Amino acid sequence: MIDFDPSTFGLAHTYQKEDKDEINTLALPSAPQVIYKTLNGPTQISGGNKLNNFKHGTTTLGFVFKEGILLAVDSRASMGSFLSSEQVRKVIEINEYLLGTMAGGAADCQYWLAYLANHCRTYELKNGSKLSVAAASKFLQGILIGYRNSGLSMGCMIAGTDTTGQHLYYIDNDGMRLKGDIFSVGSGSTYAYGVLDNHYRYDLSLDEAVELGIRAIYHATHRDTASGGVVRVYHIHQDGWTKVHDGIDVVDLHYRFAQQKGLVGDGDEAKQRLF
Amino acid sequence: MSGIFEYNGGSIVGMKGKNCIAMACDRRFGQQMSTITTNYQKVFKIQDNILLALSGLNSDIHTFYALMEKEINLYNLKENRKMKPTTFANLVASALYERRFGPFFVTPIVAGLENGKPILATYDSIGCKSDLDDFQVGGTGGNYIYGACEAFFKPDLSPEELEEVIGQSLVSGCDRDSLSGWGGVVYVLTEQKLTVKILKTKQT
Repeated sequence: MIDFDPSTFGLAHTYQKEDKDEINTLALPSAPQVIYKTLNGPTQISGGNKLNNFKHGTTTLGFVFKEGILLAVDSRASMGSFLSSEQVRKVIEINEYLLGTMAGGAADCQYWLAYLANHCRTYELKNGSKLSVAAASKFLQGILIGYRNSGLSMGCMIAGTDTTGQHLYYIDNDGMRLKGDIFSVGSGSTYAYGVLDNHYRYDLSLDEAVELGIRAIYHATHRDTASGGVVRVYHIHQDGWTKVHDGIDVVDLHYRFAQQKGLVGDGDEAKQRLF
Repeated sequence: MSGIFEYNGGSIVGMKGKNCIAMACDRRFGQQMSTITTNYQKVFKIQDNILLALSGLNSDIHTFYALMEKEINLYNLKENRKMKPTTFANLVASALYERRFGPFFVTPIVAGLENGKPILATYDSIGCKSDLDDFQVGGTGGNYIYGACEAFFKPDLSPEELEEVIGQSLVSGCDRDSLSGWGGVVYVLTEQKLTVKILKTKQT
């Protein structure tokens, strides 16, 4: 439960009236003092996230390449150490030209991305043209800034196509909105970045990009306990998005990749003694 | 995922069969959400007819095992005979209680065969021995393995059946625990031999 001290609302400026011991009836009442409370950046805003305070038990990634954008996600949901599901859909289909990825609070992501979908459709009907990816992501950012400090947990990527091409944005509950070429979000993101950064090139072909996305997610699921299940892959191109893979079991991937290297895959290549 | 017992993660299970006993463990060694290796040994052969499985903080798993190795070696030298499984079960309880106010963060399971009769004992971290059940579990995935054990277990299983049942229970249980898994090993001890089998499990 979050303890709300009402005085923390409207943190941008607070004022305190000084209580004077005697009332000077001749002097004008003193103007209220304006005190600006300085915030130490995003870490303080989101309640002090220490380096390993990953609320987002997941791995999602997206990158821009010459054929468009590739999104790859895992499918595990965990409550502490209990695995509640291995079949979650972490890519939310906002509409035929926009996709959002889910990391953090599932309810928050599902609700606000559906809200965004509603807004996009309303705009399309009123204005006769589709909302751009930049505008859609900006709209979501505006919502999340409004709910800053109230405990929303979202680390999502908005990826889509519009008249200016394919674009990828990272949005989170702190109100951050970043446009970029490569993002990975979640507790397994560090492992995925290692693989992604190693082999990423802008001029990957579609097959190479899909393989890279799958490998990066697989490596994250192997090392990170909060990521696992199946890999889902989506491709965004100028005509919208395509679901490339609906669910490749990472267990199969593990043994397939091990076999490619000529190994068994039981993690015991050094053949430690067993008793 | 706080708590000293959840820091490294891991699960163990022991079962009694007809004149045989089986132990199984996962192979993960991790630090909170990160997996370090997938070949960590958690079941130790103390003697030809005694197995000791340990779950909990990996540092104490290793230390407690080394302590028990030392005890049994000294016993063999001093008494010039092998230790009975029931005696070893008692020794584990005493060794744990010796550290009552600074305990080892482990939950051991001892399994052995005494004159052909299966012995299975489990303890909390300060040495409360419980040796009346046909199967026992330990570790972060313990509760999930309990459910699978209740479903699959029957009394007086043969060694082959027992190996199958305990393997399935371990895998099903570990699949629901994010801190256990990454491989499994099943040990089946009979009067004649000890068979060790590596299970192919989820590596995620």
